[in-house]
Amino acid sequence: MEAGTPPATGVDVLIAEDSRMQARILQKRLSDAGHTVRWAENGQAALELARERRPDIIISDIEMPVATGYDFCKAVKTDPALRSVPFILLSTLSDPIDIIRGLDAGADNYVTKPYEPDYLLGRMQALLATPLGGDDDASAAMLEVTLAGQKFRVKAGRQQVLNLLVSTFENAVAKNQELVVANQELSVARDSLQKSNEELTVLNAEISRYNAQMVRDLEAAAKVQRSLLPPDDVSLPALGVAWRYVPCHSLAGDFLNIFSLDPERVGLFVVDVSGHGVPSSLMAVTVGRFLTPKISDSSILVRQGLDGQVVVATPAEVATHLNQLFQADEFSGLYFTMLYGVLHLPTGRLDYVSGGHPALVRVPATGGPPEFHGAEGFPIAFVPEIEYEQKSLQLAPGDRIYLYSDGVPEAMDKDQEPYGDEQMAACIEGGRNIPLDASVARLLTAVETWCQPAGPLDDVSILGVEWKP
Amino acid sequence: MDQFRRIQTGKKGDIHMVLFKDKKILDDVMLDEIKTEITQLLGKASGPDVLLDFSNVEFMSSAMLGLLGQLHRKISSGQGRLKMCSIRPEIFQVFKLTNLDKLFSIHKDAPAALATFT
Repeated sequence: MEAGTPPATGVDVLIAEDSRMQARILQKRLSDAGHTVRWAENGQAALELARERRPDIIISDIEMPVATGYDFCKAVKTDPALRSVPFILLSTLSDPIDIIRGLDAGADNYVTKPYEPDYLLGRMQALLATPLGGDDDASAAMLEVTLAGQKFRVKAGRQQVLNLLVSTFENAVAKNQELVVANQELSVARDSLQKSNEELTVLNAEISRYNAQMVRDLEAAAKVQRSLLPPDDVSLPALGVAWRYVPCHSLAGDFLNIFSLDPERVGLFVVDVSGHGVPSSLMAVTVGRFLTPKISDSSILVRQGLDGQVVVATPAEVATHLNQLFQADEFSGLYFTMLYGVLHLPTGRLDYVSGGHPALVRVPATGGPPEFHGAEGFPIAFVPEIEYEQKSLQLAPGDRIYLYSDGVPEAMDKDQEPYGDEQMAACIEGGRNIPLDASVARLLTAVETWCQPAGPLDDVSILGVEWKP
Repeated sequence: MDQFRRIQTGKKGDIHMVLFKDKKILDDVMLDEIKTEITQLLGKASGPDVLLDFSNVEFMSSAMLGLLGQLHRKISSGQGRLKMCSIRPEIFQVFKLTNLDKLFSIHKDAPAALATFT
């Protein structure tokens, strides 16, 4: 092939193509380039056109009805009058066997589909500039080719093999270039992905920082909450005290306490703020500020009387007062249940009030079954301007009482079955002859076992008290 | 009517009927959505009559009671009436434990509840 070959014009081109649309596009391009174009829609018709007038070059599709491109090609290449006409096969070259078939049919050139019309024109001109010359039967030898494990015997001339080889190679180069471009695009995409990744890493680090800050804040809040609980070594005269408190998150809505109000009286309570998490725990801390035995502006349990004596508020007064305090203009939707009692140590009389809280359980020292003692009353902060009913329970020496949050009887097992009052009472009764602390621990273990494998979904609070005058 | 995600609504005369779609009303986000949707539904209507239908609800957090309390307060301050129906026993237990079965007007099913509005 010489460089600078002038583009051939006035070439007589024969197209075999069953797609009218594709034929039309190709026909237009070739006509525009100054060539004469004839078109047939199958190999059979194309062969007839070729015999009618010998074309300068043939471009043929492969998949066609009546006669395929291979059949057509073979017919041209075995026709002495037509065999020297260059023959271009349009192939998808999806199967290596296509090359063997093309060789066998005697095709001179391959152009892979889909093709650029300019590329096809260039190919055509190159082929016309390299006349097929003297390839005849003499130089056409039987070749044996092994491809994909199959042996093929094909008869092909040297020039033909060379042309086909070059066209296959050129096709490969063109495909390779497409691959290079695709690769570059991929590489650009990869770079931008990497950049996004780096940004994500930065964001992640930021989130981690915020998270760490939040964990610290929550820990601080949890510490404040723990200050609402009795000291571990709580010790009160004439009383045994044991308690357990297991928040289901780091912050709880539950809290409990027991303390001396004056030399003769002990105050005790369990509070359960609705919901969980920060809002509930904030409310718990706020409530806790009012439920303090230290005489202060905030305590509603005790105050200094006119005569300098400590005045202890009755449980009903405490509940009614709290209910007033927590009625904001717009009810926040947060409320709490509470069982608050005042135990008179010399007599063993327990005055108590319930704001929507589960009943306390008494285990009589005399050996009778456990008893539930509750009082009616709506949760605190729920309904404005109500008075709370106060009840009294006379304890006998050695009696135990258990206060708890609804996390105990309402603890759900894996089938959503609640632990229930009955099992709770039975568990408490089963612990009547073991030390108070062990009996409280026993109840907590029973609840935690009940909720396996998920564990309690609510805060669990238990306060056990034994009167030992 | 699929205007809301958490509640299905209808009207019987002047009574707003609200059916909770969810089986479980547990987390705060869901509660907020329910609250927003009911607020949107009732709008500025002063003292509407409302019936809450719990047919679908199998589990409910105690915080839902707080939302009911808010509704109760809002509706009764405007001379409206809030009623509830079709509360299954497990859920009713939550009301009972907190004594709120005595605060709210709770009925067996929708027809029974509707009959009490007249």
